Amino acid sequence: MSEPLLSIRGLRAKVEGEDAEILRGVDLDLQRGEVHALMGPNGSGKSTLAKVIAGHPAYEVTAGEILFEGEDVLELEPDERSRAGIFLAFQYPAEIPGVSIANFLRTAVNSRLDEGEEMDVFGFQRTLAEKMEMLKMDPGFATRYVNDGFSGGEKKRNEILQMAVLRPALGVLDETDSGLDIDALKVVARGVNRLSEADEALGVLLITHYKRILNYIQPDIVHVMMAGRIAESGGASLADKLEAEGYDWLQQTAAV
Amino acid sequence: MSTMTAGPAESTLAAADFDTLAGGLTEPEAIAVARAAAWERFTALPWPTKKSEEWRYTDLTKVGFEALTPVVPATATAEALSADVREVLGRSGERAGVVVLREGRVAHLELEPEVARSGVVLCSIRDAADRHPEVLRRALFEVQPGPAEEKLWALHLALLGGGYFLHVPRGVEMPAPIHAFHIVERAGTLSSAHSFVYGESGARASVIDEFLSDDLDAETVSLHGATITGEGGAGIEYVALQRFGRGVKRFSTQHVAAGRDSRIVTFNVTLGGDLARTDVTSRLDGPGSDSEMLALWFGDSDQHFDHHTLQHHAAPHAHSDLLFKGALTDSGSSVFRGLIRVDKGAQLTDAYQTNRNLLLSEGSHASALPNLEIEADDVRCSHGATIGQVEDGQLFYLMSRGLTRRQAERLLVFGFFDEVLGRLPMEGVRARVREAIEEKIGL
Repeated sequence: MSEPLLSIRGLRAKVEGEDAEILRGVDLDLQRGEVHALMGPNGSGKSTLAKVIAGHPAYEVTAGEILFEGEDVLELEPDERSRAGIFLAFQYPAEIPGVSIANFLRTAVNSRLDEGEEMDVFGFQRTLAEKMEMLKMDPGFATRYVNDGFSGGEKKRNEILQMAVLRPALGVLDETDSGLDIDALKVVARGVNRLSEADEALGVLLITHYKRILNYIQPDIVHVMMAGRIAESGGASLADKLEAEGYDWLQQTAAV
Repeated sequence: MSTMTAGPAESTLAAADFDTLAGGLTEPEAIAVARAAAWERFTALPWPTKKSEEWRYTDLTKVGFEALTPVVPATATAEALSADVREVLGRSGERAGVVVLREGRVAHLELEPEVARSGVVLCSIRDAADRHPEVLRRALFEVQPGPAEEKLWALHLALLGGGYFLHVPRGVEMPAPIHAFHIVERAGTLSSAHSFVYGESGARASVIDEFLSDDLDAETVSLHGATITGEGGAGIEYVALQRFGRGVKRFSTQHVAAGRDSRIVTFNVTLGGDLARTDVTSRLDGPGSDSEMLALWFGDSDQHFDHHTLQHHAAPHAHSDLLFKGALTDSGSSVFRGLIRVDKGAQLTDAYQTNRNLLLSEGSHASALPNLEIEADDVRCSHGATIGQVEDGQLFYLMSRGLTRRQAERLLVFGFFDEVLGRLPMEGVRARVREAIEEKIGL
């Protein structure tokens, strides 16, 4: 097999300035074109892993490495990681009053251009309109302030919209399904699937509490995180087992 | 101050006397007398020092006024529009007229024929002095500035001759704004210009004053005054967009008088110059009058922007709302000092005052001093000020989409400003202001 899209080795991390480690040796390989689901109980470190991959400044990596397309990204700033092709769909996206979605995304697309390269403004508008239609978003949405006064569902849709416009190589979806009713969940899942179809090399790390979203997005591999480590990995059937039996049978593995 | 013999034009302020300043021009008796009196007052008054509350944060004694060359009032010329002005106009929306001023002298003036036919008068202050000396004298020379502003105001009046005069007759609604360009070209000069805007009952007017220069290699001072008057039911929108280059120090004193049921919006955008001082006084003279006072600034390098405001409620049932927002980076500094004054008879006043500051760097500094002085007992007033930084969560979110820290910060400044920009009624004016801010902030 070729070099993984994402390769995490012995990753340990904690909140900057605190003692307790949240990630206690994470190992994970994700190949191009694969969809991995990352499940696990509350507090097991799933969201921390997502934020550490994106370079959240509140976390300090104490050991291990994160290789993205073979390059160590730990020394990169969050914006450099983004431009390199890593995208994090936030569990709780920030609200940016006064900045429209269109303006925000235009700036983000601009930040990817080489110096002196001109942005194709009409092309951008066409892309934005197309992606919004795919996600069943009202065209007026583009002029609204980023996440300002959005419902939970609108915020999650807005995350996938950004992923669709920015076209990353890796999408880390942090509980994108939580707080969504079934219709919204289907729209979001369809959006992700369409992105996978359009880009066969797209890698997705789907963090979730619930099996529900896996009925709509088929994972190639399911990982279970327990107490800061990957305690178990398997095929899609692992999610069914977790649904039926919970996490208790894994406690022993994690306690090592 | 000693009076020395000097040539008619190029003497320093220290060496100037009133005859030099008059520049050999003839002017109506009323104006000549009032200007001479202003000069007397200017020479008699001491410069205010940092001991006065109004100048605590801006040290006037560090401005080398005495060494500057005052630009004498001059008659208007009729030159063609320069390329830089044409360029801005080409990108701005519709307009009713254009004025170009160089060191205060009107160099170009045009008014749409249709607007002129409706009775609107747009001319240079000098022409107005000839044609409407009494209107001008009353509107300018009877303004009573506070003691700390008196010296600069007297100098402004003594140099009067630059600027324009806009008069909109009863019931006339101008379809588009007047766009004025105040250009400073000569380093080391002291020049002055006045924006005179008068709307009779029910008139509608919109004016944008744009101040610009290159970066100048010697200290240069630009004085500016504005008198904005609305009679009963008038609606006036006044925007001052200041984007001088470095080397320029500017002092602008703006007086608004709002008549019964009139609505007057002032909007000051401060982006350029080394030092910019802006004083805005709104007098709510008529019951039911409404004054909206808005301002935005973005200071970088070692720019210093100082704002003083007065919302003076002299009549009952009036409303005033002030929203000033500033962002600073590098070693930029700013001051907001605002007062709501409610006279005894001004019952049922509704007055608000808000100043918000965003600091992007360790070295930047903002001072905010909102204040109330209320003598009536049945009023609704509130004031508040905040000084803060960008939120880490917002910054990380934007950076996680590929924006550099600088881009993310600048976009957050835009978001911070949007609330104020959104309050500008005219779309064309709003677009021009937004564009100028984008150019300064750079995204």
